[in-house]
Amino acid sequence: MTTGAIIFMALSWTFVLGLTGWAFYRLLTHKAHHDPDGIGPATPPEPPARGH
Amino acid sequence: MSQATENTGVSHEAWGSRIGLILAMAGNAVGLGNFLRFPRQAAVNGGGSFMITYFIALLLLGIPLMWIEWGVGRNGGRYRKGHIPGMFAAIWKHPAAKYLGVVGMIIPLTVMIYYTYIESWTLAFAYFSIVKDYWGNTTQEAMVTYLQTYQGITPGSSHITALGFFLVTLVVNIWILSRGISGGIEKLARIGMPILFLFATILAVVVLFLPPGPGGETPWQGLQFIYNPDFSRLDEPSVWLASAGQIFFTLSVGMGSLQAYASYLSKKDDIALNGIATAATNETAEVVLGGTIAIPAAVVFFGVTGAMAIAQSGSFNLGFATMPVVFQQLPMGNILGFMWFALLFFAGITSSVAMLTPVVAFFREEFGWKREPIAWTLGLITLLFGLMHIFWLQYGFLDEWDYWAGTFGLVLLAVIETVLFMWVFKPDRAWESIHQGADIQIPKVFKFVMTYVTPIYLLFILIWWAKDDAIPILTNAKSAGGGVLTDEMHPYITGARLLIVAFAIIFSVFIRIAWKRNKYDDRAGFVEIDQSGRTTV
Repeated sequence: MTTGAIIFMALSWTFVLGLTGWAFYRLLTHKAHHDPDGIGPATPPEPPARGH
Repeated sequence: MSQATENTGVSHEAWGSRIGLILAMAGNAVGLGNFLRFPRQAAVNGGGSFMITYFIALLLLGIPLMWIEWGVGRNGGRYRKGHIPGMFAAIWKHPAAKYLGVVGMIIPLTVMIYYTYIESWTLAFAYFSIVKDYWGNTTQEAMVTYLQTYQGITPGSSHITALGFFLVTLVVNIWILSRGISGGIEKLARIGMPILFLFATILAVVVLFLPPGPGGETPWQGLQFIYNPDFSRLDEPSVWLASAGQIFFTLSVGMGSLQAYASYLSKKDDIALNGIATAATNETAEVVLGGTIAIPAAVVFFGVTGAMAIAQSGSFNLGFATMPVVFQQLPMGNILGFMWFALLFFAGITSSVAMLTPVVAFFREEFGWKREPIAWTLGLITLLFGLMHIFWLQYGFLDEWDYWAGTFGLVLLAVIETVLFMWVFKPDRAWESIHQGADIQIPKVFKFVMTYVTPIYLLFILIWWAKDDAIPILTNAKSAGGGVLTDEMHPYITGARLLIVAFAIIFSVFIRIAWKRNKYDDRAGFVEIDQSGRTTV
């Protein structure tokens, strides 16, 4: 492969995989509105305190 | 102001989980185009130049449209409208709005009919791979003949096998659809999408580690073929239009199905992050996996010149003729062949089940009919018109529907919904609507893009396609499939067009009956219904 093609491929893959990684990181770590059926609380319940 | 009327009392469906929703949305977007159309388009449109225009189209057209469609859909869901006529009427309180939505009923139904037929080829070839049925057809020409014999095009060949696989594919599709959103579509996505990504990853790795072929070419030369930075083609409008078209096909925008899926979300659910996650998942399947399999494999076995000729001869030749030739040269080629066609089948079925969702929603919500009978009735209609595609394939019947519904129609629907959502509904309300329950704040620049850039970009594509393709095709100066137009084809092409017009009339009549039956007042709008079924006027 030529240097130009390698650069294009690297940029394309980095952009796509970076966007996917970021989106799923946010999905899996920010669950403030994880309420698919629409009947649950607007915010998730507080995690139990330590020792409980 | 007259009182708007409450909807029929059918129970509202909902997604079972957020990851299920994302997988179903991504499954809807990831289709045959990711693995067959994308590599071909990249290869014949200047490689690196195509990729530049492709990513610009993704940012200015694809991702904004994704948010617009999720927004239009969820806004429709507030009034329990999972179909485009209802969604448009919810945005624009005008009697004409619902009839504009007819486009969003014709497209998914007509595309579903011929798409299921193409999808059935993948199921058939997955089976043919396992039993090594095409083994011995080791040249491109022999495999093209094998494919055409299966399609019943070659003299003396039968349609029976193709018809059998079409029936099986259709029954599976309708059965899943009849199971509903969480019980059918979501379960399919949870099974099908991981299998699709697993098979695609294995095939991509196998291709990348292929030894040099008979001419000494390596898979890396295939990637060079796709990513070659040929800037000289950036000033060609055809390259910009090809990349914009690919973004349309790959993200399944302008189809009516994304909006239908989004209508099953509540006001508290995120659509901003879900939308970008769906687009990103689709792009991973397309750019990273789709670009790494078919073209690099073709270059290894047919050389750069041969692969270019194959790419220019069409996506189906690449997927159904070239790839089987490649698999016959590899150890455990029948297993790899099965994986290739199985991944195409899962890519296809997760898209096709989405297509009838807005049509099912229309009859369910407006007439109170049960999901199962609607799904099986639509299955019967799909079978009836699918037979026309099977028997009249060589007469350009399928190409005609693919052009008017699956190409031009997508841009037309996208133009209408963007203008309605961003201009009639107003940018501030649209922006606020998209951000209700959002887990991310979309960069403000996209409000400007969605308000001005996306609609102008879409109008430009629509006008250009009308000038270059639609008018010449309509006047029979050009064939919709790109091949030679013969006198023998004219009655079939005219018939295909008349059927689309008939669908438009029939859906318009149903819409009129539904609005009268439910006593909707176009100027007053619908009554908002929360997820528990209570009206919140």
